[in-house]
Amino acid sequence: MKKKLLSLLLCATLAAGALAGCGGGGSTTDTGSKSSSESKGGDSGKKQYAIVPKSAGNPYNEKEVEGFKAIIEANGGEAVVNYPQDATADAQITVINSLISQGVDSIAVAANDENALQSVLEDAMSKGIKVSCLDSSVNADSRQTFANQAGVKEVAQALCDAVYDISGGSGDWAILSASSQATNQNAWIEAMKGIMADDSKYADLNLVEVAYGDDETQKSTDQTQALLANYPNLKVICAPTTVGVAAAAKVVQDTGATCRVTGLGLPSEMAEYIGKPDSGKSCPYMFLWNPIDLGKLSAYISLALVDGTITGAAGDTFEAKELGVTYTITEAADGGTEVILGAPFEFNPDNIEEWKTVY
Amino acid sequence: MAGKSGRTINATPQNVWRKRILSWEGVLIVILAVVLVLCRAMSATYTLENVLREMPKYLAEMFLMLPMAFILMMGEIDISVGSIVCLSGTLGCFAVNAGMPFPVALLIMLGTGLICGAINGAIIVIFPELPSMIVTLGTQIIFRGIAEIMLGGGGSIAAKNADGFRAIGKSLGIVPIVFFLVIISGAIFVIISTKMKFGRELMAIGSNRLTAFYSGVKVKKVLFISYVTMGAFSALCAIFFTAATYGANTTTGKGFEMDAIAMAVFGGISSTGGKGKMIGGILSAFVIVCLRIGLGQKNVNSQVILLIIGILLIGAVLLPNISARISANKKKAIS
Repeated sequence: MKKKLLSLLLCATLAAGALAGCGGGGSTTDTGSKSSSESKGGDSGKKQYAIVPKSAGNPYNEKEVEGFKAIIEANGGEAVVNYPQDATADAQITVINSLISQGVDSIAVAANDENALQSVLEDAMSKGIKVSCLDSSVNADSRQTFANQAGVKEVAQALCDAVYDISGGSGDWAILSASSQATNQNAWIEAMKGIMADDSKYADLNLVEVAYGDDETQKSTDQTQALLANYPNLKVICAPTTVGVAAAAKVVQDTGATCRVTGLGLPSEMAEYIGKPDSGKSCPYMFLWNPIDLGKLSAYISLALVDGTITGAAGDTFEAKELGVTYTITEAADGGTEVILGAPFEFNPDNIEEWKTVY
Repeated sequence: MAGKSGRTINATPQNVWRKRILSWEGVLIVILAVVLVLCRAMSATYTLENVLREMPKYLAEMFLMLPMAFILMMGEIDISVGSIVCLSGTLGCFAVNAGMPFPVALLIMLGTGLICGAINGAIIVIFPELPSMIVTLGTQIIFRGIAEIMLGGGGSIAAKNADGFRAIGKSLGIVPIVFFLVIISGAIFVIISTKMKFGRELMAIGSNRLTAFYSGVKVKKVLFISYVTMGAFSALCAIFFTAATYGANTTTGKGFEMDAIAMAVFGGISSTGGKGKMIGGILSAFVIVCLRIGLGQKNVNSQVILLIIGILLIGAVLLPNISARISANKKKAIS
């Protein structure tokens, strides 16, 4: 019997130790939770603004969180950052449920699935918590509004202008996309085709092919080589995907082809290919949005929703002081509302050195 | 009355109550109490209402633990259950969206689970030389693969008319409906494993399959029934999980099999078979769930929560060994 008693004691201490340990661990590793427990204890009345990223350890998400935290704290609120266990909607449900229990004032979520969070987010809204999304939206019923990094139109327009500018206004060009089912990429490509068809300015540009690299480096490389071989007069390859644009830029730079590359890419991956036209670099400039600004926009939305400046209805306006813009909420294509951050940000030889260390 | 082999042979168990309290299940009750008290002390929001509100998602996973315990008791394993949840949930949503009445959709989900379970069971029974880990690894990939093909490019489906799912996801007062179902199912599984022939047969197979076979236990039948039950309860999990998400996607149910196995093993059910009690699995499930909810409310990093659960799990497996070694050393010292 003694051994049973022993195991019982051991176990109780184990559980107690684990709990005590994690309490300490939580507050040292995560500044968010530390400040949360402090404010709970003192009941300082600070409002709590939560953000739920897609997953932990995603550098792009980290930048969004950084921007979000900066604005919330500058406005006297408390930012609660709660990472899901893995990049699934299931894990986000757990985290959001927990935030509802804690009684936060607002939740901003970068959703891993458009629909799966509906039940839990409706639950949150019914308890008076203000719900918005950033980066990747949930369906119209599950949110009050959405901080959209880039409207389809804005991205397509920027890419069309880039192709026009780099090619000199005429000639062959091709698109290197992700997979043929990728929602974002397909929307941008359709919009680009629409813009080019509607404006006679682009009449001399000839889209020869839309190739699919499936967001795999090897396949994107193969597809780029095939494009260069099949269309010797190709002037521009436009790749609206970070994997594709890096692969294409590498192939073009390595082979010394005259073709140029542009698209949507990560500055850190693209830095070695971006350069002035005569430098032998394959990419004159490319675009992406600024995740820090997106986090800031999301923070301003949360603040405005909580203090009642906006309700999330189309036509509401609010000021994002640090971004220097007064935003207006607009109707989104899915029937809900959204706030568009602005035109995508241009990375060129002048600013790439500064940005390549950021993300 | 120690026999020659050193084993105690007792026709009438003595000190029944003392034995019960000092068993692993008794320890689990103590741990559960410690967890509840500590979580309550740490977090002001750890109220009965909040804990029950956060629980349905975990309760759905508990449906998996029950038959998983049966399979583990036989020394087998099933790691395809997460994929069955995904496939069943996907088909359910497709059925609802195709305009079928909700009960029909439920039947389709249950049917999917039964068929998947039967496929697992049939392969394992027909090819006894294949380890169940490998068979169910194969079906894990196949079942999720089918769901992924059906879901197509978007990788996600939402039930357009979620009224049915909403209804079964409701609560009676503050207690979710699924809570009652888990308790009822748990009670049935406890009775089967302790009071019925089937439960004894499971243990016999897990202790020594050959002996069980020569003693007249229909090993293949018991195996097959267990895997079909596993499939059916995976479907049940899918139903109540869909009631929380109103949809399915390619990651639905990912990792559920490991959660279910962890609950069972922490409950003292040996993965090598022949050991453990159903009630232990149920208690440990509540320990893990209550702990996770408590830590979650303190905003403890999810990865840290996993770490703690992992430590608890290894501790639970090690403890019997350590105490056995200590008592063995003591005996040596005495003799």
